[in-house]
Amino acid sequence: MPLVSIQNLTVALPPSADRPLAVDDVRLEVGRNEIVCIVGESGSGKSLTAHAIMGLLPRGVTAASGRILFDGQDLLQQTPEAMRKRRGRDIAMIFQDPMAALNPVVAIGRQVTEQIRAHRAISEAEALRQAADLLSQMGLKDVDELLKAYPHQLSGGQRQRVMIAMALSLSPQLLIADEPTTALDVTTQAQILKLIKKIQAEREMSVLFITHDFGVVADMADKVAVMRHGRVLENGLVGDVLGKPAHSYTRALIAAVPRGESRLPPPPDARPLVQVSGLTKRFRRGGLFGRGTVTTAVDDVSLTLSRGETLGIVGESGSGKSTLARCMIRLLDPDGGEVLLDGADIAHMKARALRPLRRRIQMVFQDPFSSLNPRQTIGDIITAGPRVYGEEPRQARARAADILRLVGLNPETMNRLPHEFSGGQRQRIGLARALMLKPDVLIADEPVSALDVTVQAQVLQLLDDVRRQMNLAMLFITHDMRVAAQVCHRVMVMRHGKVVESGPTRDIFARPCSDYTKALLAAIPGRQSI
Amino acid sequence: MNFARRFFSRPTALFGFAVFVAIVMIALAAPLLFARGPFAIVGMPLLPPGAPGLPAGSDVLGRNMMIGLAYGARVSLLVGISATLCATCVGILLGALAGYYGGLVDDLLMRLTEFFQIIPAFVLLMVLVAFLQPSLESAVIGIALISWPQVARVVRGEFLTLRSREFVEAARTLGMRDTAIIFTQILPNALPPIVVISSMMVGNAILAESALSFLGLGDPNLLSWGSMIGGARSAMWVAWWTTVLPGVSIMVTVLALNFVGDGLNDALNPRRRH
Repeated sequence: MPLVSIQNLTVALPPSADRPLAVDDVRLEVGRNEIVCIVGESGSGKSLTAHAIMGLLPRGVTAASGRILFDGQDLLQQTPEAMRKRRGRDIAMIFQDPMAALNPVVAIGRQVTEQIRAHRAISEAEALRQAADLLSQMGLKDVDELLKAYPHQLSGGQRQRVMIAMALSLSPQLLIADEPTTALDVTTQAQILKLIKKIQAEREMSVLFITHDFGVVADMADKVAVMRHGRVLENGLVGDVLGKPAHSYTRALIAAVPRGESRLPPPPDARPLVQVSGLTKRFRRGGLFGRGTVTTAVDDVSLTLSRGETLGIVGESGSGKSTLARCMIRLLDPDGGEVLLDGADIAHMKARALRPLRRRIQMVFQDPFSSLNPRQTIGDIITAGPRVYGEEPRQARARAADILRLVGLNPETMNRLPHEFSGGQRQRIGLARALMLKPDVLIADEPVSALDVTVQAQVLQLLDDVRRQMNLAMLFITHDMRVAAQVCHRVMVMRHGKVVESGPTRDIFARPCSDYTKALLAAIPGRQSI
Repeated sequence: MNFARRFFSRPTALFGFAVFVAIVMIALAAPLLFARGPFAIVGMPLLPPGAPGLPAGSDVLGRNMMIGLAYGARVSLLVGISATLCATCVGILLGALAGYYGGLVDDLLMRLTEFFQIIPAFVLLMVLVAFLQPSLESAVIGIALISWPQVARVVRGEFLTLRSREFVEAARTLGMRDTAIIFTQILPNALPPIVVISSMMVGNAILAESALSFLGLGDPNLLSWGSMIGGARSAMWVAWWTTVLPGVSIMVTVLALNFVGDGLNDALNPRRRH
């Protein structure tokens, strides 16, 4: 008998939602001592399925029908008190954002021991000893220090390890992991995935792992279920699903995973349009009475960029890649070095002299939800730039219609507000806004990292098409080596504000020189199997 | 419209809005209904409510309380609304500059704001009004001067979070000027809390004006609710209506405005409710 057997589960959304059912007649089994992955895009119902098992559906969302058998008992029939006792003891869960799941004002030690002592009658000292033991099993060092630390003093990876330790503190039979590595850097992600896999094998637990990334599935899963629009489309052993996907959507999902190998030819040999040399940016913190601290976010970075070419800047969080971009487009004022655009140094130009040049460098932002003014219509948003430079509103709107068509949107959407669009469509609008000024240089700052994989592939394709059609010089910032490989002619790897390595994409992937680049490449999930 | 439905779905907001509209109507209609004005003596002093022709009784000088209350609404609303408008404009301007530019501008403007916040507000108001000579204008100026720091703080907070949003950065990369960014990009997004705080401020301004008038620092040529209470306080124990009726008027008006403020808060920030 499997540990968990979900039978015909249907989860209903409140009447005000955009669809009646979040989970529709789902059948799924999690056997003992195995890892089952649910893979799907946003809105597929994968998270709500997991929350239904935990008995933690949001207010207004109810399990309308079906059964969730855990060890033969239907969890949907349990009293709230019985479910409370099961949570942590039988079923534990870890979340995407460990910072939000940890209490920021309570020391790590207290949080772990509280969890243990809520279920077991043992002394504080004994619980603390168990907690220390658990944390060191999670591969954490300096455990005694860590127990006294507060969540904000830990790195993202450490926090997620603490969360896993807390989840495992009562030796649950089932661990539910809801996108546990999505918020982490790729090298940290690889470590956490390895940790979960190791612990699962040691303790012979069952793991239900929720992810959007088929690369992660390939590395983790014994079995996989593909979900879309609340239904399970396909369900089986991971080798079968990856090798012979039966459903066309599964094939599309697998095809959309960037391959991590460059398809683009080497960069065209051309006169550089942008030349950055010795660019440095420092941030000062505090310092009215104390000395304050100075961090060098970008440290002596040089690069060149030609028309028609895409340069990828790859790095993990804190590598300075976004700061570099913001200095080049003068959202930040650099402390040293120069940024030559067609020979003119824009790094230290006064605001008045800079304004006419601004239109030549444009940017596409990361967050599709905060990059568009929620109170302006699409038409107003994308014609704002031309109007700044004195273009007739009527002519700007006519051009806007063309640009919207170019980025694959219906020009009739011009009178709508941003909230009526999906994430992928918003990124297209952001791109349209940048293109309206007919720029020479386009800086794309993580333009696809907030998007679902299938949408990601479409937006990447669009960026590449636009780059070619308009002969743009493109600076593409990403944390994801696979994405960089897909669209970049050349790649520059950054770490701690410095350039680690740079060169043509093919060479970097085939023969990485630095250890850091090798580690980044090795950390790509699903590299062997997809 | 969605906003209106959300606003009026709260019974208290509906009540507050209805009461507020009624008071505004009374204030506007007062000169048409009572052409003789509030200072005219119409009969014996201290007649109780219900006496012939005096539904609200008469005061210590034999003036019609009903007319006094209607004219008092004019003064209270005029001072409350104009003081709030002035305070909101000043607060938005200074708060926006502090929040958008940060750094030295922020430090200077916030020290100025704190300067006004650490002085006991009502003492400052009394000194100011006494210094400027009691009049409608001096009450408005004084109340605006003690109220704007509240708005400035809220606006600054909103600007601090909004200015680092990507759509503002996008506007900067488009080459938009700072004034255009402040007024067309950020301010519309910062409006909901400003509207809420302003609606509450009208109530506070009415209270401040009443307190000023009670102390005899109101405009001597106008009858307001506060001065009605102040003038009648010696008769409080023999003729309750002379103080209770204007007092209740103040209370109901302020309560209505607070209900409206709460309703606006819920209707404009539906996500912050839970």
